[in-house]
Amino acid sequence: MLENIVVWLGDELAFAGSSLLDTSKRVSVWYLVSALLFAGALLTVRYGRNGWHRLQPYLSWRVWFHYSARTDYKLWLVNRLLLALLIPKALTQAVWISWLYFYWQEHGFRDLQLGWSTSVVMVLFTLCYFLIDDFSRFFVHWCMHKSPWLWAFHQVHHSAKVLTPFTVFRTHPVEGLLFFLRSMVSQSFVISVFLVAFPNQVSLWQIYGVLVTTFLFNVLGANLRHSGVALSYGPLIEKWLISPAQHQIHHSVARHHYDRNFGVMLAVWDRLFGSWHAGHDDQAIRFGTQQAIDDMGVLGQWLQPFKDVHQLLRDRIKHGRMWLKPFGLKKRPARLDREGRS
Amino acid sequence: MIDVINYFNLRVKTMKKTLLALLITAGATQANAMSYEFDVTLKGYDGSATSSVAYSGQIARHALHNSLKKVVSQGDQAKMLNYLSGKEEGRAIIDPASKEGFAIKQSQVDELSKGKDLLSSAYDGVITGWPGNPTAQELLQQLVELAANSKQGYDPVNGYDYTQLISKFAMGAVFYNKAVNHYLEEKLEADQHPNNEAYKEGVPYTGKEHVWDEAFGYFGAPAHGLELSPKEVVQITKQNPEYFAKADANDDGVVDLKSEMAFAHAYYAASIDASSDTTYFHTIMQAFVDGRQLISDADGERLTDEQRGELKGYAATIATAWQQVIAEAAFKYAGSVYADLEKIAIIEDAQGDVSKAFRDYVKHWGELKGFALSLEAAGRDLGSAQSGLDRLIGFSPVLFGDMQVVALDGQGGFVQTNAGIMQEYKLNMIKVQNLLAQHFDLKAKLKDKTGGMSAVLEQINAAGKSAEND
Repeated sequence: MLENIVVWLGDELAFAGSSLLDTSKRVSVWYLVSALLFAGALLTVRYGRNGWHRLQPYLSWRVWFHYSARTDYKLWLVNRLLLALLIPKALTQAVWISWLYFYWQEHGFRDLQLGWSTSVVMVLFTLCYFLIDDFSRFFVHWCMHKSPWLWAFHQVHHSAKVLTPFTVFRTHPVEGLLFFLRSMVSQSFVISVFLVAFPNQVSLWQIYGVLVTTFLFNVLGANLRHSGVALSYGPLIEKWLISPAQHQIHHSVARHHYDRNFGVMLAVWDRLFGSWHAGHDDQAIRFGTQQAIDDMGVLGQWLQPFKDVHQLLRDRIKHGRMWLKPFGLKKRPARLDREGRS
Repeated sequence: MIDVINYFNLRVKTMKKTLLALLITAGATQANAMSYEFDVTLKGYDGSATSSVAYSGQIARHALHNSLKKVVSQGDQAKMLNYLSGKEEGRAIIDPASKEGFAIKQSQVDELSKGKDLLSSAYDGVITGWPGNPTAQELLQQLVELAANSKQGYDPVNGYDYTQLISKFAMGAVFYNKAVNHYLEEKLEADQHPNNEAYKEGVPYTGKEHVWDEAFGYFGAPAHGLELSPKEVVQITKQNPEYFAKADANDDGVVDLKSEMAFAHAYYAASIDASSDTTYFHTIMQAFVDGRQLISDADGERLTDEQRGELKGYAATIATAWQQVIAEAAFKYAGSVYADLEKIAIIEDAQGDVSKAFRDYVKHWGELKGFALSLEAAGRDLGSAQSGLDRLIGFSPVLFGDMQVVALDGQGGFVQTNAGIMQEYKLNMIKVQNLLAQHFDLKAKLKDKTGGMSAVLEQINAAGKSAEND
């Protein structure tokens, strides 16, 4: 028994370690380096030799070994182990997709027989897959900020006082579970629909085994989003693509930056939902929630959300308001919660 | 670690040899250049034989299986048992039999080999995919008994086509099991039938030569299989007169079942290859030839550990591709079952007569089930795939009234219960195809009803599911 657990632990940790070389993982060395080169090149074009100085937060040992960053690494590893247990094994993607694929056909949706070439189908499928994936990420993220119940868990990610590429893993396991379900539901939907409409023609456009959009996103500096390097894409592009600077605004403690830029790749969702905010190379931002959780270790990061949920529950019972307020109220619950305590 | 390195070295060697062999095949000017024919190497042999190849006992069992399939649909239990478990003399070969334009050399089983039966060579482990967890041997006997009590091998009440169930399952439980689980596995060990001794007294072949030949015999390919295209192999099994010349390799005017006929899984491998761009038949055939060449090259000496290691590499190639062939066949029939259910729904909607469509449904289900059970009849660990296939396919097709066999009662009768909507059994077929394609890494995927789902799933899984946010 103990032997099995040790082997399992070893396997999981080795697997986590292998992410560092895996091109499908954002934190692989290739993308960590490509982000540096991309930012270096862009900032040099903009600011000449001084451009490279702007990369200093990305290369600083003080950032990478900051207490907050070390909590990121620990959470990355321990969450892996926990999620391996939490994520339902029986309910696999194949089961979901099979069921949906069957369901659509039983309800009269059939092969469209449009006679399109496989490459056209591939591009269309990749595009739809990307749009639905990106929007569903945006939407779940938006909900995480708008609902105090979800914010209780999502605050773990925002409690990072310094940002490193590994902050992407700084999440509460409950959030991890929700995001796993999100990817399963959204992917199953788009895949099943395409399989019915274009049988035996569906495939993703991939580069080095990675979805083309993810590959470009990662090569072009996705890792800078969680870093102290303020890099804007410029006023025009930022209306369409979320820049590192824009995501850093999302992590800002400043009030006028609250609930801005929920998007992952596309900025259009934020514009549609009225949460878009431009970034700037010269922005100076402090990160965190300015709550006690900012200084907590792994255990605190795990337990504080449950304490907050418990508190919320008690308050709700006390005031006889068990149900969520409708979304889109002027005073956003998430903000209320953060402001209320600061 | 050394094992892993050895394994890779072996793979590279195997690949080199296969490549070489392919080049030789392509450039072959001589007939029989790549035939399964090998000279005597046994030290001290002073008999008159020039060939060391012998697998007539296996061919006799192929003739028994082919004939058994024919008699199941006649419903005579004594006759069925004659071909399943009998060993007596005088049994006629009912199939393959001579016909106009396709003469067969042998007409009696004894002309191939005496005293052979199928049952005693069948897998003696438990088959979980049939009610009551019988061993494969018990199941074959049980199926024959049930077939005798049915209408010419057809049981519409429980949805069984015994001709298909018995034939498809027997091929797995006897041929695939014996070759993969026995000859290509335990019999390759150093202490089993060493190569520096005769297999038994008086024979012109060594221990290892014969072990390898017996596995080859069970595959069922003609000795000149490498010179034949998959389509030709298929037509030879079907005894198409237009392909008689292709079958009759030695031009003696008759097809010798011992070396010129295609049987069982060799036929299925070729038929899958003929309908897709796979090369199962030639892959297996080539590995058999290469392995046998390696043994011949040892020239009657005991095989070294390195040679046996290489031989095991060929055996692994054969075992993997053979398993894929069976899984591909199951995949195809899962697609047929799906299509039959669609037909039934259409006919039912039009209030037409569904009896013919239902008959096809039961037949295809019998083929699917027979192949699926074969996969578990060779002592190979299928992991979660085994329980997955058992549950998804069930103990019978879902019948009218949404009933399905779920167990055996105390008297050995089948117990049915409500199994959900009949048409929803199609979803199970989609899942069966996905499971087979993913678990056995299938390539041909004939009659794919999933729209190519497994390939997309592979891409998505490789890309990694993300539990991360930003």
